[in-house]
Amino acid sequence: MSSPILEARDLVKTYPAGAGAVEALRGTSLSVSRGEFVALMGPSGSGKSTMLQLLGGLDTPTSGTVVIDGVELGALDEEGRTLTRRAKTGFVFQFFNLIPLLSVAENVALPFLIAGGSVGEHRPRVNELLALVGLAHKADHRPDQLSAGEQQRVALARALAPSPAILLADEPTGNLDYTTGAEILDLLWDSSERLGQTIVLVTHDARAAAYADRVLVIRDGMVRDEIPLGRRADHAPAPLIRRLASLGL
Amino acid sequence: MRLASLAWRGVAARPLRSALTVASIAVGVAVVTATLVANQASTDAVRRAAQELLGEASVRVRAFDPAGFTPRAVTTLRELPGVTAAAPVGERRLTVATPPGPDEQVFTLTAIAVDPVVEPDVRDPHVVAGVPLSPDVPTGVLLNAAWAAEHRQAVGDQLLIIGRLPSAPALEIVGLVDDVGLGALESGELLIMSRDQLNAALPVSAPVASVDLVVAPGRLPDVQAALDAQLREPFVVETAADAQVRLARAQTAFAPIAFLFGLVALVVGGFLVANTLAMTLTERTRELGLLRAAGTTGRQVLALFVRQGLIFGVAGSIVGVVAGIGLAALMIGFLRATRAVLVDGLPVTPAVVLVPALLGVAVTVAAAALPARQASLVTPLEALRPSRRPGASLGDRVRAIVLIELAVVAIGIVAYPFERGAAPVPAIVLALALLVGAAVASTWLLLPLSRVIGRPFEWFFGAEGMLGRANLGRDRVRTGLTVGALMVALASVVALGTVADSARAAAERWIASVLPGGTAIRLALPEEIEAFRATFAQTPGVAATSPIAEFPAVVTAEGAAREVSLAAIDPTVFQDAGTFIFTSGTRAAAFNALRAGGAVLVPEPMAVRDGVGVGDVLELGRPGGVAAPYTVAGVIAYTLPARSPDGAIIVSLADAAAQFGVTTAGLWAMVPEPGITPAAFRQSVGETAQALAAEPIDVTQLAGELARSFDRLIGLFDVLALVAVAVAAAGIVNALAVGVAERRREIAILRSHGMTVGQVQAMVVAEAAIMGAIGGLLAAGTGLAVAWAMIVAGAPRDFGAGLSVPWPLLVATFLLGIGVASVAGLYPARVAARQPIVSSLSHFE
Repeated sequence: MSSPILEARDLVKTYPAGAGAVEALRGTSLSVSRGEFVALMGPSGSGKSTMLQLLGGLDTPTSGTVVIDGVELGALDEEGRTLTRRAKTGFVFQFFNLIPLLSVAENVALPFLIAGGSVGEHRPRVNELLALVGLAHKADHRPDQLSAGEQQRVALARALAPSPAILLADEPTGNLDYTTGAEILDLLWDSSERLGQTIVLVTHDARAAAYADRVLVIRDGMVRDEIPLGRRADHAPAPLIRRLASLGL
Repeated sequence: MRLASLAWRGVAARPLRSALTVASIAVGVAVVTATLVANQASTDAVRRAAQELLGEASVRVRAFDPAGFTPRAVTTLRELPGVTAAAPVGERRLTVATPPGPDEQVFTLTAIAVDPVVEPDVRDPHVVAGVPLSPDVPTGVLLNAAWAAEHRQAVGDQLLIIGRLPSAPALEIVGLVDDVGLGALESGELLIMSRDQLNAALPVSAPVASVDLVVAPGRLPDVQAALDAQLREPFVVETAADAQVRLARAQTAFAPIAFLFGLVALVVGGFLVANTLAMTLTERTRELGLLRAAGTTGRQVLALFVRQGLIFGVAGSIVGVVAGIGLAALMIGFLRATRAVLVDGLPVTPAVVLVPALLGVAVTVAAAALPARQASLVTPLEALRPSRRPGASLGDRVRAIVLIELAVVAIGIVAYPFERGAAPVPAIVLALALLVGAAVASTWLLLPLSRVIGRPFEWFFGAEGMLGRANLGRDRVRTGLTVGALMVALASVVALGTVADSARAAAERWIASVLPGGTAIRLALPEEIEAFRATFAQTPGVAATSPIAEFPAVVTAEGAAREVSLAAIDPTVFQDAGTFIFTSGTRAAAFNALRAGGAVLVPEPMAVRDGVGVGDVLELGRPGGVAAPYTVAGVIAYTLPARSPDGAIIVSLADAAAQFGVTTAGLWAMVPEPGITPAAFRQSVGETAQALAAEPIDVTQLAGELARSFDRLIGLFDVLALVAVAVAAAGIVNALAVGVAERRREIAILRSHGMTVGQVQAMVVAEAAIMGAIGGLLAAGTGLAVAWAMIVAGAPRDFGAGLSVPWPLLVATFLLGIGVASVAGLYPARVAARQPIVSSLSHFE
């Protein structure tokens, strides 16, 4: 592991709620190194998804800073944040990740299309990614012709398409059965292992988090604990589960 | 809370969409209301104008001879027993000019010459500014107020008669009159003045065309008997009812076409209601499933949706009727200002309020029927499904829309409140059927067309264009009907423009086919033919000339006499110039028969209506005189315009002189020498006309005069069509806003992958623009088809030249479609771009 590619410092995020406000994040910090695979865990409402959204520049913190690959998001306007997101991040969400009107290949090429390119120009990269996720033979299919697992694999390929500095995955297996979920996690692992892809994974599932090098536990809007797991090819969840149990989770 | 209140909540939950839907119904209702009110205003105005034309007079005695009544006849009429006042009215064409200077204007008007002493006893001049004519101001004239406003003439201004005697003083505008009585004649293009003053100003007196008689109570039968016994000159007696018929005939029928636009706007509104409720159904499927699971019956759900439709219908109808009365006021103001049609007041009767309101409610409820039925079929399981319900099949939905719109058409035709005899009902039905059919077809054509039309937009907008085009296929019935609504409105614009162009082309073809050489000189009054023949013939560059003498006659058939118009011509000049299109009989034989005498050419509409063919014999003569047999030598497609609606029966000058005593002509056809340039010929004819204080006229000018009042109405209809375009734009806003709401999560995903705010906006605007382009393209074809229907089924005889395709208008309509849709897309685009990414990502369904 090398220098931090992603840093969050003293992040505070409050949402107005009636006359008062709810603090989703209370001045927390974290750092992710280049090539690292980090999992964020925590109970519902702990602030882990909010953290991911701020890390990806989807939302702005009430206070604090986020630095992605040397770019401080707080110094950018909306347009600048969008362009940074386009250049440096890839997202995978839990539900309905694909554009139903576009083919599989077009979905994978979406970041290039948004940047002004065409599918044809980026065909080799698209084919490479489809081969990586095992869907080369379904390049011209529509999303509704794919299974839920296949759809998520396409989403992953799309997130990896522009070779982002960091891949942010929000409960990517939450909508999938165990086997299919494991396939997606294996792909994430492969991309980390083979491509050196930096990954931040939000999950409440210890078996998913067990793929990570390091697990950060968020509670009440703060990173309260850090569980280093190291790079392990077997992804055995038992050590993590024991540690989480000791923390009362 | 009762279950029924969910309908209100459904309306209130989406205020913008509900407002747009109510507005779309309201616009249709408003146009229908305005049409009915304006039509009633026109009927009232014609009735009033006719009554005021005769004023206190019981009868108008009209001279049959174009030379008018002699002074002796006028005296006879004045002295008839029982007549308390007799007001002679003279008529002639008059060219007048404003005082010389940089702003000098020249007008050709009809001078209505009256006796200022007698007039106050007969009729009210309805002066709206200034004072009536008075013997104290002999040079005073009255003008129609609307005409005067249009031509910047005011009380106190002076006018000079062109060709006046040196001693004649300038005329002074002393008053402006309303569109009633004398002021309603000649579409307001007139000048009312003292007959003595007019006759003193010019070398030839204006003929006394009619004398209006005020009769003592109970003495009318005596007067009628005395007329027959004492008046030695041919005459026709007219009552106020006859005058009303004549005035009504001169009005351009605007109500049927305006009514068509009302129905079009309602059809568009119907599409939008169906669309809105279908969208509501899509959004609330899960909620409806839960209601059904909780024990709500399908019938209750059905009632819920019908109630929501009723809320839209009633609200739209109320707003529409109120707006319609306002629109009627504007429409009536427009018609008055352009003098296209006589209109008067703002008659709001129960019928003109109830018919549109009921139509609006009926259309809305009919449009709500399908979504309501689909809603009633939602099962409790729908609540458990993770994704939205796809809805009924495309075919089912489209079939239902067709049925809805056919119901609208049927209701519209049943409720059609106009004189059916005069209205082109088949044309209206065919036009509406074409519009509805094309709108429905657009749901099928949408995707294939988008692949072609979308290309330039993809090239221009890039990925946003591609995504925008792809979005069209998401709910192609919804998008198709939205495009269909825009197409219907734009097609109306195309149809109107095409009909107007075709009318102009037909008028040119008509005039060209009946006027040898395409040029003529119109004299202010008919002049002795032989006295002027040399003057016309010696005009440089003229190869031949023919006088055209129009005069009235009666045709006797089965013992009854009917008034017709005859036009006497020089057969050789007309034959050599290739004039007239023969639909029956041969050209050479027909002209030979005219030259030989005792033969006529009959216009086709008259031949068809009366069952007259070549070889048949017509008994023609003067009223009370001896009729002579005339053999029909040919039937012609078009004839010279005349007082009779059928146009003139053509006869030779020799026969006209021998039997009818016609020796004068008011129109001379001028045939150019071969090789002379049109400009040189025009100048030469113009010089001759100027020397005679006459008007040079050509085919284009005459056709323009014929098409003018139609053109003015087209302006009104264009406004109505543009209202329908605005409704359709509201539909685009509605459909796109719903599309954006449905795609919140998808747009958030695009944003999360780096799509900028501007790109999101461009994507939605591109989608709208492609919709507009498809609508515009379909509108071009459909508009031409509708124009064809209106021409072929509505008035085939008036459009002998067929369809004239206005290419610039087609291009403009296509661009208008793109422009309107793009503007309509701006609001949804803004909404789409403002969606917060984070909350949208947690939104699903």
